[in-house]
Amino acid sequence: MAALTNLKQCPPVSMLPDLALRHNHIPELDRYPKINLKNEIFNHNTGQRFVGGQRFMSVNESVLKRITRTFFDAGFLECLAEARNEATRQQAPWIGKAGDHLAHLLGFLGSLKQKVFPYIQEVGEERIAQYMETRDWATCDVRCLAWHRHSFRLAVVGGDDAVRIYLKSTNANPTVLKSPSQTQITCLEWRPLCPAEIVIGCRQGLCFWIVDNNVQLGRTTMPTQTFKHPANLPITSLQWNKNGNLLATSSIGDRSILIWEPDSGQMQVLKRLGPPGSLVKWSPDNDWLFASTVDRVFRVWNCYNEWTTERWVCGNGGTVQTACWSPCGRFLLFVSTSEPILYRLQFVPQQMLKSTDDKEVLPIADLNACSLDGNQTLIGGPVQQLAWDPHGNYLVITFKTTNCIAVFRTFIQKFDLQISAAYYLSGETATEYPTYICFQPLYNDNDRSVLTIAWSSARIQYYAFD
Amino acid sequence: MSSTSASDACKLLLLGRCVRAVVFSVMIQFLLLTIFLLFVNFQLFHPLNWLANTFGLVCSFYTWFASIPLIIAIVVYGVILCQEHLVERRYHPSRYRWLQHHGLRKLVFLVAHLMVGYLTVWLYTGYLHTDYRHLKYKCYGSDCLSGYHIFLLGMGTTAGCYYFVSVYLNREVRIEFPVVSQSRSHKMRELLYGTLLNSLTRSLVPTLGFTLVFWLCGSLVGHKLSQLLGVDTDERLEGFFGVVTSIRLLFYAWLLTAQILSNMHLMRRFYAILLSEDLPLTVSKNRTAFAQDQEVTMVAGLGVFHIYVVQCLSARFLFKLAHRKDSVHRQELFQLTEPGNRPANWRAFCDQSLSIIGGFTDELMDSMQQISMLKVAQNPFPVINNDSVSAALLAEKVLLRQYNHLHGIRPIVSPGREQQSDQPVLGGIRHMPNWCERVSLQLGQALKRLLHRIPGIVYLFSEPEGAKAAFLLANSLHIVWLSEGLAQICVASIKEDRYGVVQNDLPAIIKALSTLKDNLDKLGNVVGNLRGSHTSHFSMLRGSIRRSLYNVVNCFNEYLGDLVDSPEELHMLRSFIHQD
Repeated sequence: MAALTNLKQCPPVSMLPDLALRHNHIPELDRYPKINLKNEIFNHNTGQRFVGGQRFMSVNESVLKRITRTFFDAGFLECLAEARNEATRQQAPWIGKAGDHLAHLLGFLGSLKQKVFPYIQEVGEERIAQYMETRDWATCDVRCLAWHRHSFRLAVVGGDDAVRIYLKSTNANPTVLKSPSQTQITCLEWRPLCPAEIVIGCRQGLCFWIVDNNVQLGRTTMPTQTFKHPANLPITSLQWNKNGNLLATSSIGDRSILIWEPDSGQMQVLKRLGPPGSLVKWSPDNDWLFASTVDRVFRVWNCYNEWTTERWVCGNGGTVQTACWSPCGRFLLFVSTSEPILYRLQFVPQQMLKSTDDKEVLPIADLNACSLDGNQTLIGGPVQQLAWDPHGNYLVITFKTTNCIAVFRTFIQKFDLQISAAYYLSGETATEYPTYICFQPLYNDNDRSVLTIAWSSARIQYYAFD
Repeated sequence: MSSTSASDACKLLLLGRCVRAVVFSVMIQFLLLTIFLLFVNFQLFHPLNWLANTFGLVCSFYTWFASIPLIIAIVVYGVILCQEHLVERRYHPSRYRWLQHHGLRKLVFLVAHLMVGYLTVWLYTGYLHTDYRHLKYKCYGSDCLSGYHIFLLGMGTTAGCYYFVSVYLNREVRIEFPVVSQSRSHKMRELLYGTLLNSLTRSLVPTLGFTLVFWLCGSLVGHKLSQLLGVDTDERLEGFFGVVTSIRLLFYAWLLTAQILSNMHLMRRFYAILLSEDLPLTVSKNRTAFAQDQEVTMVAGLGVFHIYVVQCLSARFLFKLAHRKDSVHRQELFQLTEPGNRPANWRAFCDQSLSIIGGFTDELMDSMQQISMLKVAQNPFPVINNDSVSAALLAEKVLLRQYNHLHGIRPIVSPGREQQSDQPVLGGIRHMPNWCERVSLQLGQALKRLLHRIPGIVYLFSEPEGAKAAFLLANSLHIVWLSEGLAQICVASIKEDRYGVVQNDLPAIIKALSTLKDNLDKLGNVVGNLRGSHTSHFSMLRGSIRRSLYNVVNCFNEYLGDLVDSPEELHMLRSFIHQD
């Protein structure tokens, strides 16, 4: 491990000799929208929401009537809880006892199911947050960002389940996409080769929006199309292929990867035995589809060879926390939750290595936490997210427990990849940490790579690389 | 390769696949029989006996001989399916014409379904208890008609009929291409698991339905049959409780229905799996001395207009080669061919693609002219027939209308009465019909109105609005793949086309895609009103054309001014990709 690149070699950006690099600000960034969601979210605060039930006096109902009403109002489980509460026990003890027996039976069946299918658990907000690439997904103000692949449009998902669309150099308010059928947003992406179509993965499934003038005029309040997961599970990861005709999704409650063809309304299930899926990442050239699970297993699907799959297992019982493809599509980098080591999986051209068994996972960087300049500030530790710049020159890494962003230089050769620590970035205050990062796609070949950072203070920062 | 020889070669290939599908269908009968026998002969405490007896029965001579009629029916069924897949798809304007063309074939297909259902039950009842096995049984010393056997035979026939009605009656036989292309073995495995599981629930409705009908009419049929055969009637299934309490009979009926539905679904899907496999196409014809004569080029495949499957497979081949990284086939398209150093491959491909897209667009435009809502919208300059207006006033009105049309200003009131009359005016002199002509005209119109009032006449003989557009949309899958493939090849040409063979055709390609997009946008306003459910076909085609156009225009954005002459069109294309 000593030979691996590590974060101790990482100087802060202020100590770099290259002034051009130190002052990353370029005039072009002035025309980028200034975003701070804090104010906007406060303006639409839901904490002061009117709760009707608090304003009315309770009435005396008979036990059976109360239980029946609870069943129709809140479902079976609430009805069972109502049957077992103290008031019911005092009025009708036999109902309380029957409720106890039923609850024990359900508990036994649940534990049996848990033993037979250990991965199937209820998909709640906490469990979703555990497998997200966003740091503190459940509580943060900016949950996700997505750039349009061909034109300047930035979609920002706020903690209020609203998606705001920002355009270049406009002082107008952003277009807001919000709907009751779109809660707990986990992921979103603009559709490639479409001027204004965006898909949002959320608790209810997939919501498709067309962000045209109708939306800006406030005429559209509902998604143009919605698709539900076949098992009514939340979509936790999605990605379009390069052509924009297929959409891959996964859910942490489902073992299958779903490939959607939204135009025709068709969907095909890629079934495999094993734990449910967590992340899906399509390689830039559409040749491979990386799919990790909530357990040690991850798979890489060969999309052009009859969708055959190769299975890999993480060591030390961890799961894949985050992964990213190189812009050339030949290298996949990933980090597991069990150890802060950056691994690489190489996909060399088929004519060079005939056998697919020649692929191997190699550790390339040690990301263990270390102190910066001997003071109390730490960098490194368990990794939160990876992002590779579209030119393939920089790799950016955020961490779960430390607040700085590590920047690595990468040198992609035809059959090899070299990596070295470059510098680190930090927030405006010591407590500010990055929640989500992504690179803006290149609209022209000579564009500079721009990293977009969503900080915990709901501020969006743009950082241009050379 | 000429169009006929390409068509013959493709037909031969597809015929081979159909034969393979029939063989699979025959083989699956024995698997289904084994599953059925495992169910009905289940012995919990003697598992080895259970398995040995079951496999012994399947491998017995009785089974092989008894299954011959069913296998013949399966082969006939397969031949009809093959014909349905490979037959040319024609548009039938009225239901009468559809009936004329498809009626007999549908009837034959229905008979094939009934035969398969009947013979499956006939074969399977041979392995059941004696009560279910024979048409007659001994009761009280005399021959009686077996109600159980009749019930099961009727159930089998009904199951066949049910499948035909639910799947084939109103729809043409068509292949569903998979979203992702997995291996054949994988697809077969998935199909088998899915079908066997789903059929258990799917068979509940026909079983219950037939049980209800048998309870109502079964005794009558039983009496008639017993009279016909000269035997006594069976009283075991008389009355509601007689039917409902025969649990074992209902279980067998449900199981047999599930088997028949699975059988037919599997046969249909075998065809879909095998026919949707990639064709061995090439981009350029191999000119070596040992080249095979049966080699079919992609362009020739695209030109096989009368076999829709071949066109779809060729278009999908194009789509794949266009999107594949480092595709050798794609590079062949950009190469110059000997002799003459001409881009023969590109020329043939581009001409064929533009011809297909252009032909489709023309047909769509023609069909859209029949839709009344679009007709009104498409006529912004109605002829003004008012003798009293002067030429200057007329010119001013025309100019005003042109200005409004250019800037998208529409009148907020419906067209006036003067715009609705479209009789030709020749210098103010009109032909005045004499009384005889007037009477004959009125009589003709009255007769027409009378005919339209007869129930069924309009339904059978008139063309439903938008039917042609719906037909075109339903058969537009090849356009989807063709347009996306063509656009991607244009995009790839920026890096791979060393001789610049593509650039001259870019204006024509952009024009073709743009025209089709405009027409589809117009059709989008009324597509919900078309007969049948074509929303998915429409959205697939429209999405694909929009993405293709976006791909080309976005890639050649810098050179768009050189590629598009018309300023309006240039503005439209630029606003299409920058919808800010």
